[in-house]
Amino acid sequence: MANIIKKEEIIYPYLEKPLSVYTFDNGHKAVLAYKKSPLINISSWVKTGSLNENSKNNGVSHFVEHLLFKGTTKYPAGVFDRTMEENGGIINAATWKDYTFYYINIPKNHYKIALEMHADMIVDALFPKEEIGPEFDPDGEAPKEKRERYVVIEEIRMGEDNNWRKVYKNLNSIMYEKHPYKREVIGTKEIIANISQEEISKYYKTFYTPSNITTIAVGEFDEDEMIKLIQENFKFKDNSNIEKCKTDDQTPEYKIKNPKTTVDFADINTGYLMMGALCDSAKNLKETIALDLLSTILGDGKSSRLYSNLIENVDNPYYYQIESCHYQFKDGDNFFIEANFDAKKRDTVVKELKQHLDNLSNITDEELKKAKKRAKVNFAQESELVGDIADAIGYWTTVCNDISLAHKYLSTLEEIDCKYLEQIAKKYLSSNLVSTSLLLPKGEE
Amino acid sequence: MEEFKRNNINILLEKTPSTPRYALNLFFKLNKKEKYCGINSLLARLLLQGTKKYSAAQLALEFENECIDISTKAKQDYIKLSLVFLNEDFKKATELTKELILNSTFDDFEKEVYKIKGEIISDLDNPKLKLSDAFIKNLFKNHPYSSCHTKILDDIDKITKQDIIDAHKDMLNSQKAIVLVGDYNNKNEILDYFEKEFDFMKDGHEKNEIKDIFKNDIEKDEYIWLTKNDASQAQIIQGWIVESFNSSMCAKIAVLNNILGSSGLSSRLFVNLRDKQGLAYTVRSQYETLLHSAIFSMYIGTAPKNIQKSLQGFQIELEKLANEKISEKELKGARENISGRLKYFTQNNSQIASIQGYNYIMGLGLNYNQLFLDDINNVTSIDVNDIAKKLLSMPKLVTIIAPDEYKTDF
Repeated sequence: MANIIKKEEIIYPYLEKPLSVYTFDNGHKAVLAYKKSPLINISSWVKTGSLNENSKNNGVSHFVEHLLFKGTTKYPAGVFDRTMEENGGIINAATWKDYTFYYINIPKNHYKIALEMHADMIVDALFPKEEIGPEFDPDGEAPKEKRERYVVIEEIRMGEDNNWRKVYKNLNSIMYEKHPYKREVIGTKEIIANISQEEISKYYKTFYTPSNITTIAVGEFDEDEMIKLIQENFKFKDNSNIEKCKTDDQTPEYKIKNPKTTVDFADINTGYLMMGALCDSAKNLKETIALDLLSTILGDGKSSRLYSNLIENVDNPYYYQIESCHYQFKDGDNFFIEANFDAKKRDTVVKELKQHLDNLSNITDEELKKAKKRAKVNFAQESELVGDIADAIGYWTTVCNDISLAHKYLSTLEEIDCKYLEQIAKKYLSSNLVSTSLLLPKGEE
Repeated sequence: MEEFKRNNINILLEKTPSTPRYALNLFFKLNKKEKYCGINSLLARLLLQGTKKYSAAQLALEFENECIDISTKAKQDYIKLSLVFLNEDFKKATELTKELILNSTFDDFEKEVYKIKGEIISDLDNPKLKLSDAFIKNLFKNHPYSSCHTKILDDIDKITKQDIIDAHKDMLNSQKAIVLVGDYNNKNEILDYFEKEFDFMKDGHEKNEIKDIFKNDIEKDEYIWLTKNDASQAQIIQGWIVESFNSSMCAKIAVLNNILGSSGLSSRLFVNLRDKQGLAYTVRSQYETLLHSAIFSMYIGTAPKNIQKSLQGFQIELEKLANEKISEKELKGARENISGRLKYFTQNNSQIASIQGYNYIMGLGLNYNQLFLDDINNVTSIDVNDIAKKLLSMPKLVTIIAPDEYKTDF
């Protein structure tokens, strides 16, 4: 059983009590948060995702996520899902570029069994061959036993029919030169059809190590009891001597070196566009907050610049949807504009959106005030549900590797003025620094 | 939650200590068939598009400067205004809400029609939305519940501004409720405030012009094929019109639905079609209750060559539910799962206001969630068998979107 070597209390906005952050001697961390609720959320956040993949195993992080539900020594496939759900639990998992996480929302009277089975799944995944299914040629005849490889391939297929996902995939691939972020998290059909159980297991043993995992519990519980259960149940195996997976060069790219445009076509009626920029790491708190504020000013809500100038104050608008967003990553954030529009206006659209980016050098005090209030309210919003609180804690501990930044967010926000925002806009969001992805109706070539 | 009647205004309050944001919902019950599809949707949107005092852009600024989140929605049985705002902004939020309900000008009528048309065309680029649009249209045929994107597109140019003004009058004359959930200090102050400032929320006369339906109009199995030649997946919805919450069948259908395909990762469709056969990433069943009817459906997204296999899978799972005893363990699991899901979906102020307001305006009462769980606890294996048998005996509607090369005779 791991021993606690450190316990810290961290003040977290809008929560009644500080977070308790425990570090164990094996490197595993646990964060406990109090929230009055009939449910308890238990999750484990693993610091791995497509960031740690290469061109041969792209998609393995997400495949491992699926396969963690497929049985342990103690509980065969299906037992975890059934037990949690017949106790009123809602379970799932997600994989992204920097992290993979597994969660349970369960009525509080059932949290002990939830914690025990959750820990078991994280530390003792077996990857049974019969659950993975046989390797096969995705262009050839499908095997009789399809199993989980096929489930993931269906998920890939589902994404291929999603217009926004197509635009994002194309943009993502041209924004980066080399960084692993350029690949899709879900991988390719070919890799999923052929990756071996040995490679999957090696990936798991490389990255599902105690120092790479933070376990989070949010809700109403006895803290001493919860931390004891975590200590007792997370019995990590010693995989220190195994051959480790090799990762690609992860040198961060904080600006697009060669801005490009990509155009694709589909059986659709309207045009889809994403324009994207690369920025500094999410750990750079002041810049990350500035990008949050710029996103609010540019494209969040009906009073934002994009919506009001291109839809609300236009007689016959040719945009059907327009917004901006800011994604935070360990090795550099992304800033996007997303537009859905009358495809015949494609050239005008690209020009207008670039003009809006260049006009970000002119922020008013009113815009800044509105954006700052939105940033504060977002914290209030994230404190309403046990699952949202856990997700926010997971983000700070995994992507930023520093939970105390959550507390510093609001004070850092107050330091930001219009001039600083203009500097950040100029540094990252000038029109000559963005790449563009378009998806147009066939026939609009 | 507590119910109050002040000066004929229905006010529902729930105090949730230590929450920084209020949720305020205003419900207006719809009892008339729309003259044209889309009138209520258009009305709901136009409520945010300008008043005597504020243009649409100014209104957006007034709300967003204070981070008052507002949305308006026209559903089959009601129009709802939902607001979430910081406790300190109560007065501002309620004053703006009053302004837009009483003083909307609908001057942006033509522009909003233009915008809706564009948005619908864009939405129909999404194959899943196109599929559910066709499903609803063909399931409810000429009933008001058949209102969907494509029917709105057909009708929208016939709608006039006067139609919107008339629909707004109907909305103000309808049965209504105010729902507030949050950390208020003094209940009576809140009640006095609504009584004084929200007298337009006085309850109207109930005139139900929509006839009850719960029978399938479908006489034999119907298959609707939608072509999407560049689709990677085929998507299928198979469903029926069934009894709703006003029927004793409701809890039985809910338990069948949970076991078949809505409990999450352990439902029978999930385990047998996804986990064991690898047919899909998404496969599920759904039971959607409305005031006069309900829909029970199964959905799968699968490789186009698996269409027949998926339909067979639906049939096999229903037959097993019809002919085999459901173990007490599985029934107990379904009960716990439904109860847990209800807790999950009533966690924050916004969710509580929405669900309790809906229960109230549908005439179910504020204790409905508990009564529903009590009914769920009484559902037996035989009940589930009977529902499954009934579904199997009723003609079904199957809608499919896929490349034409996979089209076969059904």
